[in-house]
Amino acid sequence: MGAIIALSIGNGPVIPTPLEPKNHFLCSGDTCSGQLWYRADPDLHAMWWNARRLNKACQLEAFKNCIAGGWRNPPSTGSYLALTFSPDAPAKFPDVDITEFAAWLVTAEGVTPVAVEVQSSKVGMAQLSATWPTKTMSEISVLVIGLGSIGGAAAHALAEYGVGTLRLLDPDRLLAHNLVRHVGPPEGVGRLKVDVIKQQLAALRADTVVETHPWDVIESAHLVRGLLLSVDLVLCAADGVAARRVVSHLARRAKKDAVLACVLADGSFGEVIRLRPWHDHGCLVCRRATLADKGGIDPEPGLDAGYGTGTTHRPMTAVGGDLHLLGRLAAKTAVATVLERRGHTDQKLPGEHLLLALRPEIGWAPPFDLTRNGETRWLPHTPPRPGCPTCEPA
Amino acid sequence: MDLTNAFDELQRNVNADIDQVTLARDRRDIFKKAFKGEDDVLEVFGSGSLARSTQLRPVHDVDLIVVFDGDKHPGWGAPGTSAEDALGHAQDRVKALLGMADGRVDQLVRLAKPRDRAVKCFIDPPEQDDAFTVDVMPVLRQPDETLLLPSKRNKQWNTADPEYLIKEVAAQQRKWAFFRPLVRVLKHWRLGVPTKVKSLVIEVLALQCLPTEGNRQNALKSFFTSSAVEVGYGVEDPAKRCGPIQPDLDISILRTALEEARNLAELACAAAADGKTDEAGMYWRDIFGDDFPESSSENHVGAAASAAVVTPRVVKDAPQG
Repeated sequence: MGAIIALSIGNGPVIPTPLEPKNHFLCSGDTCSGQLWYRADPDLHAMWWNARRLNKACQLEAFKNCIAGGWRNPPSTGSYLALTFSPDAPAKFPDVDITEFAAWLVTAEGVTPVAVEVQSSKVGMAQLSATWPTKTMSEISVLVIGLGSIGGAAAHALAEYGVGTLRLLDPDRLLAHNLVRHVGPPEGVGRLKVDVIKQQLAALRADTVVETHPWDVIESAHLVRGLLLSVDLVLCAADGVAARRVVSHLARRAKKDAVLACVLADGSFGEVIRLRPWHDHGCLVCRRATLADKGGIDPEPGLDAGYGTGTTHRPMTAVGGDLHLLGRLAAKTAVATVLERRGHTDQKLPGEHLLLALRPEIGWAPPFDLTRNGETRWLPHTPPRPGCPTCEPA
Repeated sequence: MDLTNAFDELQRNVNADIDQVTLARDRRDIFKKAFKGEDDVLEVFGSGSLARSTQLRPVHDVDLIVVFDGDKHPGWGAPGTSAEDALGHAQDRVKALLGMADGRVDQLVRLAKPRDRAVKCFIDPPEQDDAFTVDVMPVLRQPDETLLLPSKRNKQWNTADPEYLIKEVAAQQRKWAFFRPLVRVLKHWRLGVPTKVKSLVIEVLALQCLPTEGNRQNALKSFFTSSAVEVGYGVEDPAKRCGPIQPDLDISILRTALEEARNLAELACAAAADGKTDEAGMYWRDIFGDDFPESSSENHVGAAASAAVVTPRVVKDAPQG
């Protein structure tokens, strides 16, 4: 494995062609000079393609006859690498994948084709623009609240879908005990989770702009209100009832869609809820109350606690893979929501509330009576309940 | 008939008769000419669907905005009776300029009757069904270029920006030649929705949700998909001046109608992609009714039954890892 890090024409000056990214592993490899590049006849590249297919070497003379000039014989006992450039080759052989660059190991006995990878000038999400609405996605902004194991995975997935701007909100730092489940690496321990994710995405998904807000959504609700004005959707993967209720309230007041993701019953079930600020769709509290009335869920002891109070954390009972799966499902739900609104018919969802069995056991009340791992169930929305301070007009 | 021709025929069936449109514009221009000669008038321009070229058949009214000089009517714009005064003044000027008995510029108007915001000027006999009228609205121009519109009923003046929608529709039309024609098609479609939907609701949804590229079929599919969602957030004045366009709109019924149209459009586009033109035409006919031409081999069975005749496509085993 090697890379070209400098080139020259004839006896001209040597021009550096540095590798990107700068921490690429080949940047710390040995350097060697004396390799050559030639302009070549298109037929040589057809020969390269065929020789690779047949796993055969070519005759030195045949190779030499296709070289435009400046030929150098290989040493009698050694070899050199040659890169050949034939800009007309792809057009001359349109039916097969003949490239304008080819690489060879040149020896006195023959010439062996070598695999070559040319970095495209078209990078990032633009490469998918023929089949994915990359431009639309690049104009979308999502606020992610809670950058734990679910939220971190969701942020990665949102960037992979091409979301243009991510606004990350979480006051917590990555701790050593988080590593077993979090997407963050060991070297991130001690840093703010929002900064850990931002750094990862800067390296992996340069198309996505990431802003960080190390705030608590409850304590900084007044700031979150302003933030919501600049986003298309909010994805909440925060712990506990209170934070989710605050997000539900703020999003509805801001007329923004919200997607909430969590695991329930110590990791038995995953849940993704979509909240739309529509007159006939209830908020999170209305949905939970309706479900509780039907005996489907046991209200959290802190559910009716005052604003900013209530239980915030569950112990670590779910496994990282399941949490990441939930984060990715939440991201897919978020992306589907914004794209359907922009006319993409293939982004319709079957409902507003997804249940996913992660480690199901027999005996849960409906709608959680899923019995097989991986089983899903989509539920519809529920209407606002009379007197709801979130759903009724302010 | 191929789908392009079928959509062309749908368009012809929906469009207003060109002679009607010409007549309406001629009548509007007579009003413009008359008011432009007035000392206290700064501007006169058309508003409404005719100004946006999104009018449906039959054309039986024209909206005209007359911007009066606030300096010459110092009381106007204030709460109270000034809104009614402005409408009364406009009524008097219509009679003097265009009254059938002794109009100075032309003798066109049989009756000029102030309504809440405009003076309705009857050119046809008022008792006639769909009598042709010109609605003359006296307004004031504000420093930020918006307009102050009178409301006789509420005894006040309200800020509005009708020129915003005119400009936006024109901008969309410049991007895509089918924009205005499809707005007309969609306004016509709304007449089949089982609740009252104001035409402006559809125009604003089109502004938000109708793409300005591609073919008409995919654009309509995209419109129905997008607007079935968008309507849930409420349909408001795009200039952000006047709030909800139709406060009494039954959003649930409109959303259901849009979703049904979306589902049919999805089937139509899938059929067309498979080269099943007649099948695609059946679905479009389910959406647009008899204005969409019947396909040659069609034995029309309705949307529910026709959905069952879609031939499932088989997935090719060409995995991508």
